Amino acid sequence: MEFKDYYQALGVARDASADDIKRAYRKLARQYHPDINKAAGAEARFKEIGEAHDVLKDPEKRAAYDQVGAGFKAGQEFRPPPGWDAGFEHGESFSETDAQTASDFFEALFGRGARRARGGRGGFAQDGSGFAGNEGFSTEGFKARGGDHQAKVLIDLEDAYRGATRALSLRAVELGKDGRPHMRERTLNVKIPKGVRQGQQIRLAGQGDPGIGGGPAGDLYLEIEFNPHSLYRVEGGDVYLDLPVAPWEAVLGRKVRAPTPDGAVDLKVPAGSRSGQKLRLKGRGIPASTPGDLYVVLQIVLPPATGEAAQKVYREMEEKLAFNPRAGLGV
Amino acid sequence: MARRKSDQGSAGMRILAGTLIDETTEVSVEQLSVFCSVRRERIVALVQEGVLEPVLKRRSRRADDWRFAGESLKRAARAIRLQRELEIDISALGLVLDLLEQIEALRSRIGSSAPGR
Repeated sequence: MEFKDYYQALGVARDASADDIKRAYRKLARQYHPDINKAAGAEARFKEIGEAHDVLKDPEKRAAYDQVGAGFKAGQEFRPPPGWDAGFEHGESFSETDAQTASDFFEALFGRGARRARGGRGGFAQDGSGFAGNEGFSTEGFKARGGDHQAKVLIDLEDAYRGATRALSLRAVELGKDGRPHMRERTLNVKIPKGVRQGQQIRLAGQGDPGIGGGPAGDLYLEIEFNPHSLYRVEGGDVYLDLPVAPWEAVLGRKVRAPTPDGAVDLKVPAGSRSGQKLRLKGRGIPASTPGDLYVVLQIVLPPATGEAAQKVYREMEEKLAFNPRAGLGV
Repeated sequence: MARRKSDQGSAGMRILAGTLIDETTEVSVEQLSVFCSVRRERIVALVQEGVLEPVLKRRSRRADDWRFAGESLKRAARAIRLQRELEIDISALGLVLDLLEQIEALRSRIGSSAPGR
C-alpha cells in the first residue's frame, strides 16, 4: 500500500503546531467541501484532507503516525512494522474517519473494526445510520425505523421527456452479525417518471435500512442528475438550445429545422432577428402539469469566405451596404 | 454514484416506482430528521434560525404541525453537513446556503456545473 503524507495533504510542516494544522485544515476543507466545490476530484481531495486532519489533530495518533512514518515519502510502498503500535491505546472510537472512505493506509494504521462513521457521505447509498455516532434514532426502545439512504441517478434529458427505467447498482455499508461493517451490493430496477427535473428526488419507500426490532425499514432517496448534454442546457423545467442560423435566414426570415429533446421541429425565424434573440416554444420544455418552455437562442453564423466567389460576395456587401457596426461607439 | 447498468432491467426483475418529491410534496420534521440522521431538535433549531422554513399555511407553534416543501430535504441535509464538516455557525448557515443556491442557479444558466469553465 502507498504511504500517505498527511503533512503534505494539509500543506503543513512536520513540526506544525496544532493551531497551524487546524487553520490549514479549515481553509482546505472550505475550498474542497463537495457541497461547495463541484469540480471533479474535489470530494476525493476533501476526504484526503479529512483523513489527514483526523490523524494530525489528535496528539496520540499524530505521535503514532510520526513514529511509524519517519523516513517515508508520499506514494512510497508502505507496510507497517509488526508491533508498531505498542504503547498506544486504540479504543473503540480511535478514529472518526468514515468507514467507507478511509484509505487502506489509514486502516492499516488505525484499524478496521475500530472505525466509526462520521456521517456517511458520498455518491453511493450512504450509510447515515446503524453505526455508533449516529444520532438518528434512539436505540433504547427495541423498535426503531431503519435509516434513510441516498443515491444519485444519472439520466439523460431525453429520459425526463419520456420517462425511463434504470437498473441501479447500489452499495451500502451494513453492520453484520459479527458487529463489523460489510459492503452489501444490490440491484434495483427503478422507474424514472416522465417530467423529473434536475436535483429532484424519488422516494422509494422501504428500500433504506431494515428496521430494528420489527420497526419499519427506512426509505431510499434517489437524486436525479442530468448528464451534460451536447445541445441543450436546462434551467428548472425550461430547456435552452443554441441554434445556428445563416445571416440571410435571420435577416430575411425563414423556416428552419431545429432539434428538440422530443424530436425535430420546423421553426419560423422572423425577419430581422438578431443574434442572441430567444424564440420561445411554449410547453416544449420538460413535461409536467405546467410544462417548462423550450427557448431557442439564435446564433448568427457567418459563412466562411474561402474561395473567390464568397470573397466577391463579401466585397460586394462592403461596397453596397455602407455598414459601420461601430457607429454607436462614437469613433 | 449509482452506476447505470442498462436501460432495461434484467428479465424477471420487479420494477420499483417511487414517489417524485417536487414542490408539491410536503415533508414533516420527523421525515427531515430521519433523512438527515439527526435528532429532531437539530431540525427545529434550523427552523428557529430561519435556515429552513415551513410552507406558509403550515407555520404553527407546534413543530409537529410544520410541513416543508420537498426540496427542504436536500437543504436540511446540506445544512447539517456544513455544520458538521465545516463547523459553520448556525447563524451564518442560512446565508451560506442561500449563496450556494444562487451560485448553482447561475451556473446552470451558463450551462456549466464545474467551476472555471
